[in-house]
Amino acid sequence: MYQKLTIRQKQIVWAWAFLAVPVLFYCVIRFYPTANAMLISFQDWNLLGDRTWAGFENYQKLWNDPVFWKVFRNTFVYLLLGTPVSLVLSFVIAYHLDKLRFMHGFLRMLYFLPFMTSAVAMAWVWRWFYQDVPIGLFNNILAGFGIPQISFLNSTTNALPAVLAPAVWAGLGFQVIIFMAGLRAIPTSYYEAAKIDGVGWFTVLTQITLPLLRPTIIFIVVFSSIGFLRIFDHVFNMTTNNPGGPLNSTKPLVLMIYDTAFNGFDMGYAAAQTVVLFTILLIVSLIQLRLLRSE
Amino acid sequence: MANLALRNLTKSYGTTEVLHGITLDVADGEFVVFVGPSGCGKSTTLRMIAGLEETTSGIIEIGGREVNNLEPKERDIAMVFQNYAIYPHMSVKKNIAFGLRSSKMPKADKEKRIQEVAGILDMTDLLDRKPSQLSGGQRQRVAIGRAMVRDPAVFLFDEPLSNLDAQLRTQMRLEIKKLHQRVGNTIIFVTHDQVEAMTMADRIVIMKDGHIQQVGTPTEVFHKPANTFVARFIGAPSMNLLSGELDGTLVRLNADRQVRIPGVAAGGATNILLGVRPDDLHLDSANPILSGKVTLLEPLGAETLIYVDTPSGEIIAKADGRNPPQVGDAVQLGAAPENLHVFDSASGEALT
Repeated sequence: MYQKLTIRQKQIVWAWAFLAVPVLFYCVIRFYPTANAMLISFQDWNLLGDRTWAGFENYQKLWNDPVFWKVFRNTFVYLLLGTPVSLVLSFVIAYHLDKLRFMHGFLRMLYFLPFMTSAVAMAWVWRWFYQDVPIGLFNNILAGFGIPQISFLNSTTNALPAVLAPAVWAGLGFQVIIFMAGLRAIPTSYYEAAKIDGVGWFTVLTQITLPLLRPTIIFIVVFSSIGFLRIFDHVFNMTTNNPGGPLNSTKPLVLMIYDTAFNGFDMGYAAAQTVVLFTILLIVSLIQLRLLRSE
Repeated sequence: MANLALRNLTKSYGTTEVLHGITLDVADGEFVVFVGPSGCGKSTTLRMIAGLEETTSGIIEIGGREVNNLEPKERDIAMVFQNYAIYPHMSVKKNIAFGLRSSKMPKADKEKRIQEVAGILDMTDLLDRKPSQLSGGQRQRVAIGRAMVRDPAVFLFDEPLSNLDAQLRTQMRLEIKKLHQRVGNTIIFVTHDQVEAMTMADRIVIMKDGHIQQVGTPTEVFHKPANTFVARFIGAPSMNLLSGELDGTLVRLNADRQVRIPGVAAGGATNILLGVRPDDLHLDSANPILSGKVTLLEPLGAETLIYVDTPSGEIIAKADGRNPPQVGDAVQLGAAPENLHVFDSASGEALT
């Protein structure tokens, strides 16, 4: 029977033969749980008992939950602080690293290293950095200059930026590599032409380099935004005594979902939060793609 | 506008010297083409004139002023690149205006200048388009436009036509030549295509391995090649080179053939290469210098190239397009003595 198929049909048969495994995988591991989570968000379930229909109860509870709004705000602070900071930092590093010949490979490796390091290990090292004297690195340095102690992780105002810093640092290496690839793709003759036209470096940067890096910037913004909206492991590991603390000041949405599901065993409520996170991720990504897409 | 002078220019990368003392004078308003095979140093020389490469030693003068240590923008030059280097995210107008960005001209004057250049290049109606909406030839014109608005003393062209298809290349060749006649600036044009060099240049500079082989008008380099390299590089198909012996003004080829050459520098080497262009080598049974069997025909319409297997090796000659000999025919070939070139077979230098 196979012999009688046209070339096009044979190609389709083979395409589906190879696609079958990932398609099956996606259905079982991705789409089914997603659909199931959406269903659970309208139910009450404590993981062991029966699932009972709850309608919009979980969503109403979420709307009226002050912790949710705090967490919602935190998540956006992670996003709105983390994305621009990491974007600017990684661009500045890539821009200068690209011009450097001496120890180029070694420096690139140093920047990439944190990306390969386990977030747990990193979070614990940074935790140590943040301790009070005589243990913590930063406070010891401050004390050496006679500057008063800063409580990093125990302050409701400082804790979030303190948790964000290692998360930015961890993602930097990847973004630097992507930026460098983008910079390398710009033909040198563009810069040479600008040099002959005698324009300054700032004009070259704003009129040539940045516009031509647009696709790279879009990719990094979307990619790192999704990362910051889903931030969890850094927060969890740096605030283990009181996850998301102090007073929920560092708690992101994913941590709240985890807490609700596996400490509170309120699966329906956790699923409702997940659906909200999913919606936020979708909307933010769509807005970014729309805004950054070239005219 | 200004003249340009290169004085014993050299360029080294590390310990490797790639340019070995280039000396050249270009007059004001002259169109000079640098031509040579890839790696001969022509583009490097151009980039050194532009200030994109540092000079290792020697002097570059533009308009009587030494520019070795000046930034590109201070040299009063403009350059057109092989890939045009026009910015894909800017309109044609912005691209052209980019050439004026650093100038302190009032805005109205800049606008006037852009319109003027667009008029000369016949692209006033393209000013608002993006480069992606332009054809290859139009992009090329934008690149030239960006160079023109600066009204530089010297225009530098770095193989600007090699990304175009054959037909467009011929057309742009003419356009650039007309443009030069109109604006009259000094032009340095780099190419690897000898046809471009021949058709456009006031003077051709032929380079090889970082040395200038010959400088001269197209007619000079074609009819009086300084050495075998120039002889073979300029003109298509290449000049035939036959080994022989020189005795006074008499050249003996392999067999019993011999030919008297007027004006050959007597007392030179005895082992020589006799050069004759296919255009000058015709069927001639009255005064033949070569004979052999036709192995291949290449009809070009008006004439036919014939490949002839002779005792001196395979040579190319030209026959009438209407009645060419056939493959396998025994033919006798002759050329006027004044069209023969004699080269020292050891050094390759011309002896005529």
